[in-house]
Amino acid sequence: MATNNVANNIGKEQILEIAKSEMEYRVELFNRLTKICFDKCIEKRYKESELNMGENSCIDRCVSKYWQATNLVGQLLGSSRPPM
Amino acid sequence: MDKSMLGDLGSLPEEDQMRMSAMIDQIQIRDSLRMYNSLVEKCFTDCVDSFKRKSLDKQEETCIKRCAEKFLKHSMRVGMRFAELNQGAPTPD
Repeated sequence: MATNNVANNIGKEQILEIAKSEMEYRVELFNRLTKICFDKCIEKRYKESELNMGENSCIDRCVSKYWQATNLVGQLLGSSRPPM
Repeated sequence: MDKSMLGDLGSLPEEDQMRMSAMIDQIQIRDSLRMYNSLVEKCFTDCVDSFKRKSLDKQEETCIKRCAEKFLKHSMRVGMRFAELNQGAPTPD
């Protein structure tokens, strides 16, 4: 953190904005992940309100894979230069 | 997502902590409302297909209840796993 007061104030506003974007990104990530794994793992007939064992495993694996995919894409985006 | 995220910011002045806290609240409220809408849309789409009458029949009602409950349970489980992965904890295969 800069020791200069003016620089501090500007820094704080920016940090708050960045934190807000980060948080909104996480919420969006969670929502999309939840939706996609529901569509892929849960049968639409809704025979019961409980999750069975198969669905539970599917959910766990789906979340894990989605997470890995997110990291993969993140790495790619982080290392490549933006196209001119 | 909860205020425990604020633990990281405990060193910030109180005014900033309050602003962060207010921001988190706002995001949470917005997300809850969004979830409400999309849950209704999903369960309606999956459970209701005929419009011979204007009231939901017993079957449709049951279907919608199960759909909503199932989604909420699913969402909780996803949240658990998501939190584990966020913390870098190894998960079973």
